[in-house]
Amino acid sequence: MELLLPLLAATLIGAGVFLVLSRALIRLILGLSLISYGANLSILLAGAGVARDAPPLLDLAGPHNDPLPQALILTAIVIGFGTTALLLVLAVRAYQATGTDHVQELVERPDPMEPPEVFADPEHPSVSPEIGPAREGPR
Amino acid sequence: MNLVAWPLLIPLVSAAVLLLLRGRRIRGVVAVAAALGTLAVDVAIGVRTFTGEVLVVQMAGWPAPYGISLVADGLTGLVLILSGVIGLLTVLFLAISLRHPPRRGTGPLLNRAREAFGAQALLQFLLMGVNMSFLTGDLFNLFVAFEVMLVASYGLLLLGGELPQLREGIKYVVINLVASALFVVAAGMAYGLFGTLNMADIATRLEIHGPDPRVGLIALMIGLVFATKAALFPLGFWLPNSYPVPTAGVSAFFAALLTKVGAYSLIRTFTLMFPHERDAQLIVLTLAGITMLIGALGAITRRRWRHTLAFANVASIGYLVVGAFMGTSSGLSAALFYLIHSVLVVFALFLIAALAECIAGESYRAEGHLDVYPWLGVAFFVAALALAGVPPSSGFIGKFGLVRSLLEAGGTLRVAVAVSALVAGFCLLYAGMQIWRGFFWGASDAVHRVHLPRGATSVTGVAVVLVLALAVFGGPIFGAAERVAEQLDGNRDYLEAVLPAGQVRGE
Repeated sequence: MELLLPLLAATLIGAGVFLVLSRALIRLILGLSLISYGANLSILLAGAGVARDAPPLLDLAGPHNDPLPQALILTAIVIGFGTTALLLVLAVRAYQATGTDHVQELVERPDPMEPPEVFADPEHPSVSPEIGPAREGPR
Repeated sequence: MNLVAWPLLIPLVSAAVLLLLRGRRIRGVVAVAAALGTLAVDVAIGVRTFTGEVLVVQMAGWPAPYGISLVADGLTGLVLILSGVIGLLTVLFLAISLRHPPRRGTGPLLNRAREAFGAQALLQFLLMGVNMSFLTGDLFNLFVAFEVMLVASYGLLLLGGELPQLREGIKYVVINLVASALFVVAAGMAYGLFGTLNMADIATRLEIHGPDPRVGLIALMIGLVFATKAALFPLGFWLPNSYPVPTAGVSAFFAALLTKVGAYSLIRTFTLMFPHERDAQLIVLTLAGITMLIGALGAITRRRWRHTLAFANVASIGYLVVGAFMGTSSGLSAALFYLIHSVLVVFALFLIAALAECIAGESYRAEGHLDVYPWLGVAFFVAALALAGVPPSSGFIGKFGLVRSLLEAGGTLRVAVAVSALVAGFCLLYAGMQIWRGFFWGASDAVHRVHLPRGATSVTGVAVVLVLALAVFGGPIFGAAERVAEQLDGNRDYLEAVLPAGQVRGE
């Protein structure tokens, strides 16, 4: 167990980073979730090393588990839940706006806020014929 | 009566109320009233803390290492007043500019559709998160405060759902979530090592414990988290493109306050818990030195109003963190003065940019506006000189203090940082001149007059007057900053007030 849990946390975070670096939004979101699981697990590991006599409310005898890391993890899980929901909505909205969940599409689409053409680079015009104008998603 | 919890409670309650209210006018009234109330409480706390008093509330009555403490010392009082002022002006900007029907060309001021989806409520949640990060004395609670703040800021950034907002929003959310995960890990490790998350308790335990490489690691992790939030050099590339995408008042608030929360947390954690971690401090100092140059050079390369200013904001964060991490008390007091200056001047410049974008669109390459809008020219002139740090302005006072303390402290790294501060100052001046030449100078034949909402112009005027006032009252305000920096040196008052040994409570 001593070795297994740190390895698990490292694997989760490693897999999460790998997924975050990919270009599909849904994989990015899954990767962020994995990173936050790994982070939560590492709180549990860090807290396990601390010996406290008893939790603040109890004066019962016997071995106690430190409740604080679990409370911290619970808080972090709730926050992570909310942000994941927000990211999923964001991904759906991006999919509606661009028709794909590729990050690349979102980045390389011509920017409607480009400065006037006088100042655009003549070799890289801001609107290229292959891409065409952005499709308006449903409001 | 203890005031310390009120800067959280007022925004929280009013945000909930604002979500329930139907009708634009009543929402505006409630939001302005809440912002006024928060500002009043902030000023009351600030006045008491500037006398050297430290106000503490132990939440639910649990004594310090077990419960969560809310603490207000001089530094907290200072940033609370700033957040109150900026919060009020932003709420007014959002509320007043709505009362005029949107016209053609008033793009960035067009808040009506966004306001209906809760911009004012989100702004109150954001203010609550900001104030909570300023007040909390607990490392994990600081994480929670950051999340409250960030979730509200995601909402404000994405409100409107246009393509640039989605693109920048995804980057912004992802980088902040990764930084938050790192923060959670660092907090967990801190708990494992110290057995407590109360920052004052950690500080006293560290004094007894002495140096330890694991402490350095935790300091570095926490430093990197806040460096990401404050947009220091290699971690800050999310900022310059994401701050220009929300509506004008919101992006002014983001630029003026959100990155400064990261800088505040750096100052707070390192002066309180890690004053002896020299390696981590030198790393942050180096990053901040590079940040100044990157920000100032980036400001020159951009051709759009708010993009240029977002880079200038990055540069000013660099100055601020350099002052705080050079390791001398005079540097810290200069940094605190620069903090006030930076918040006010960046806010004023973003509002000016909003008006200018109303007139001629996002690019500042549209000449001849000085004749038609002379007061906008005056306002920009004042704010841009203050940003660059030209002598009579408040920026000069701050930068002079920074460079002087850097040279006094000596050492190759500090002298190099001082040189880069001066170079960055010139670059910012050049960026300001580019805007001046591009937007204000030239023949005004092609310029046609656009109606600017009077509320928006008057809020901008107030912001510029505040920048001027900071220069006029530079002496006394710098003195206050010096007293706050003294209090941060050793933090005796803070520790005694928070920890149960002294049993000092906020009355």
